[in-house]
Amino acid sequence: MMNDRSRDIGPFVPAPDDDMIVCRCEEITKGEIRRAVHDGMYTVTEIRRWLRAGMGLCQGQTCSKLVKGIAARELGISPALLEPASSRAPMRPTEMKVLGREEGACA
Amino acid sequence: MKRYDLIVIGAGPSGLSAAAEAASKGLRTVVFDENERPGGQLFKQIHKFFGSKEHKAKVRGYNIGKQLLQEAADAGVDVVLNAPVEGLYPDHEVTVRIGDSLRHFKGDAVIAATGASENMAAFKGWTLPGVIGAGAAQTMMNLHGIKPGNKVVMLGSGNVGLVVSYQLLQAGVEVAAVVDALPHVGGYGVHAAKLARTGVPFYLSHTIVEAEGEDRVKGVTIAEIDNKFNFIPGTEKHFDADTICVAVGLSPMSQLLKMAECDVPDDPSKGGQAPRVGAFGETSVKGVFAAGDVSGIEEASSAMIEGRITGLAAAESLGFITKQELEAETAGLENQLASLRRGMFAPGNKGRKITETDEGIALSESLLTQGYVADDEIARFPGVTKQRGIHPVIECTQNIPCNPCQDACRKGCIRIGKDITSLPAVDTDSQCVGCGLCVAACSGQAVFLVDEDYEEGYASVTLPYEFLPLPETGARGTALDRSGAPVCEAEVVEIRTSPAFDHTNLLTMKVPADMAMTARFFRNQKTESEAC
Amino acid sequence: MKQKSEVLIIGGGIIGCATAYYLTKKGVDVTVLEGSDFIGNGGSSRNGGGVRQSGRDPRELPMAMWGIRNLWPGLSEELGADVEYVQEGNLRLGKTEKHKEILTGLTDAAVSCGLEVKMIDEDTVKEINPHLSDEVTSASWCPTDGHANPMAATLAFYRKARELGAQFYTGVPVSELRTVRGRVREAVTPDGIFEADKILVAAGYGSRAIAGTVGIDVPMTERKAECIVTEAQPRMFEQMLGTADADFYGHQTAHGSFVFGGMSGFEAFMENDGTTTSTSYGASCTCRGIMKYFPELASAKIVRTWAGWIDACADGVPVMSRVEEVPGLYLACAFSGHGFGIGPAAGYNLAELIADGETTVDLTPFRYDRFKPVI
Repeated sequence: MMNDRSRDIGPFVPAPDDDMIVCRCEEITKGEIRRAVHDGMYTVTEIRRWLRAGMGLCQGQTCSKLVKGIAARELGISPALLEPASSRAPMRPTEMKVLGREEGACA
Repeated sequence: MKRYDLIVIGAGPSGLSAAAEAASKGLRTVVFDENERPGGQLFKQIHKFFGSKEHKAKVRGYNIGKQLLQEAADAGVDVVLNAPVEGLYPDHEVTVRIGDSLRHFKGDAVIAATGASENMAAFKGWTLPGVIGAGAAQTMMNLHGIKPGNKVVMLGSGNVGLVVSYQLLQAGVEVAAVVDALPHVGGYGVHAAKLARTGVPFYLSHTIVEAEGEDRVKGVTIAEIDNKFNFIPGTEKHFDADTICVAVGLSPMSQLLKMAECDVPDDPSKGGQAPRVGAFGETSVKGVFAAGDVSGIEEASSAMIEGRITGLAAAESLGFITKQELEAETAGLENQLASLRRGMFAPGNKGRKITETDEGIALSESLLTQGYVADDEIARFPGVTKQRGIHPVIECTQNIPCNPCQDACRKGCIRIGKDITSLPAVDTDSQCVGCGLCVAACSGQAVFLVDEDYEEGYASVTLPYEFLPLPETGARGTALDRSGAPVCEAEVVEIRTSPAFDHTNLLTMKVPADMAMTARFFRNQKTESEAC
Repeated sequence: MKQKSEVLIIGGGIIGCATAYYLTKKGVDVTVLEGSDFIGNGGSSRNGGGVRQSGRDPRELPMAMWGIRNLWPGLSEELGADVEYVQEGNLRLGKTEKHKEILTGLTDAAVSCGLEVKMIDEDTVKEINPHLSDEVTSASWCPTDGHANPMAATLAFYRKARELGAQFYTGVPVSELRTVRGRVREAVTPDGIFEADKILVAAGYGSRAIAGTVGIDVPMTERKAECIVTEAQPRMFEQMLGTADADFYGHQTAHGSFVFGGMSGFEAFMENDGTTTSTSYGASCTCRGIMKYFPELASAKIVRTWAGWIDACADGVPVMSRVEEVPGLYLACAFSGHGFGIGPAAGYNLAELIADGETTVDLTPFRYDRFKPVI
């Protein structure tokens, strides 16, 4: 779907709860997320890559719906129109020595 | 690479059901689960389930879990615990952390039964220690025997919020309030009513303004919100509390399916990103199936049926049973599933405001906004009759798929009929003997026995009582009405416990005759200030 | 919607975004079309973040050196966002005599191009990075190399270009280029035709199909590359790392996590299935590689793995070129897995090429028509 990154979403208006942490793993605030949207980060993926929101230990398990909601509100669209965050192995943080000790691997 | 006929990811209700069903058809089946105990959320469900006999209604969740584990073991399912599946790759390959190594397996079919995770709500102070998921609180209490706090504010009035609030009370935790941003109680009215009558206040159209405290939660301020979710100034209410439980819904844990490139659209009616599945749980990737909450948030009962259907479908896809056998075996299961998905809380009714029952009776507005049926509303429901002598009073006022009360009464006093969601009606022609089986059988604790002719000037009220310590016969205390307000003095005249009641005790209290239709809970004098 | 501009850039990676930025800075009217839904969604956000000169092909070295001297140190300030550039050197590590030979060969070639790089012995390596295992016996050392945050850098170029008026559209794949009266003029998309006086194709491997519609081919292939990232670790070292054995590369980020890339050996035989899913064994290979060099990272937890597709050129260096035979067409592709470090310099020089016709760094080695039959 074509997404015009210059479309008018109105100005960034500071809000009293801008200092509230939303991504607790990476300590990203609501204000930073809203600001990022106004900086052109119109997708959850770009917000994550720009701010690290959802990139921490829980991989967005806790905050991804919250980030989506904040971004959607800022963009004036339904959260369902924003893409889901991608999922990558490992599902749980795993020590290098465990990943390095494989059994049964085949290319 | 080690290969199985079927790899099931998740040993919860749907995964175990799927594995048991598939293994019974001859599939070499393994279940991997990241937890140290099997059962998913089943073993922390200490309450009785809704539904009908085939749904294991009135059986407590942990007992269903035990039965399911036994069934899987008997069918030869290999359940591997402490084994998080780290990735789901093309060719149905999974990587599993087992001990200190990463092991690779392939399954000819894979069923993801990975369940759901709790949603969080962000408010000022939500990152303070003491703010936890309601499900987490339930795990602490019911699996690990740890009280999550001493005084809790529950955010969310869906079934999770209501059930966990009640279990918090059972664990001796004070529940200061149940708060919900929506204007109506989200969960079953019977769950709300059993909380309200113990004195827990409900604040609908309210949400949390702030969790207070420096290094942990010390208090909570809530306020009313308008229909645009903005706080209404001047409506703030403060509670001292050390814990906030958040019960604002669940999200499917569909990460593995997304990684495997299944089509996983965002579907609010399913609670979030749930795989697109066919009638048998098949995803868009051949040989990969999904069952239970991961394919859409529902109840454990429906998850178990979905699991069975999916297990059979996996068996059919690999040639262990024929298409005809699959259809024959799943037909009954589909009917069971369909009956669970009926009634006012059916997935299709999500977000819809319902004002009357199927029978055409106006719903209790008080139940929806305050958690209890008001005195002047209760008489209009068919379970509530006025009779001489002892008789059941069934305060079940919403169409939910549940009928154990009908089967419990051997005298034919209670009638639901063919339609499992119909409101139970009391047949005044049948003679109640006061056995109390209906009281114990009701998963919603909505059945009472009332005898208005108990003694000259006094009535007796028999109520389900699931708190410890049990008051003794002769104990004096206060009767509370449906709202939890003290209404009169009461004396415990009988306490009945029986294996048949399955830990639901029957407390009979004597109250002034005019309180027969008002008094619905007993508070012991000795423990007045503390929960028991 | 505006469908006409002076310059149309196809591809919203670091090359497209940097070129757009430097063009808008010159006052050129630019539109960028990104085929995927996200800016910087290809190699630009999937690479290991190296900003190196050492180890590069001599044809590419002048561009790398110029960028490190002139652009990278001031980039955060210029773009108004921290791109996490760290210039603390690059160690390329060896464990065997054969490794030492490889490293010495690379070093000699770079020195002859004027790069300050040298071979160092075991003790010196340990002085620079005391966390290395005793297996490491030699290294090449280039003190002016470093690393940066690829996602931040790409998005910072995008943000700044957008702020200066460049139009960006995502989710707009180009299926065809069309010429009008002998000049390339139109890009066909599902959302209509975008017109421009000049068109730069900077769409990674996707450039091949797009340029092919006007009869231009660049010999390249796709190769999967995989990365892993750890949870944040206490600060250990600041250098960029690589190895003679190519078993891993990476660095510790400003965030504290380590980003590492590695190889399994099967990369050349993987077909692009349209996904960026890691293989089931790639992360494990990389972990084994790293632990031989850094035993103390054995307990560091990997929180995520990812993969991307490299547009690997037949001769291993990029194409950055005007296409004279199709007037108005410019190509910037086939960066072969080392486009990030030279990304800003490439963008700067491409902007010059497109706007002025003259470039600061000689782009002759990167011409599109340099591929001649050898037999």
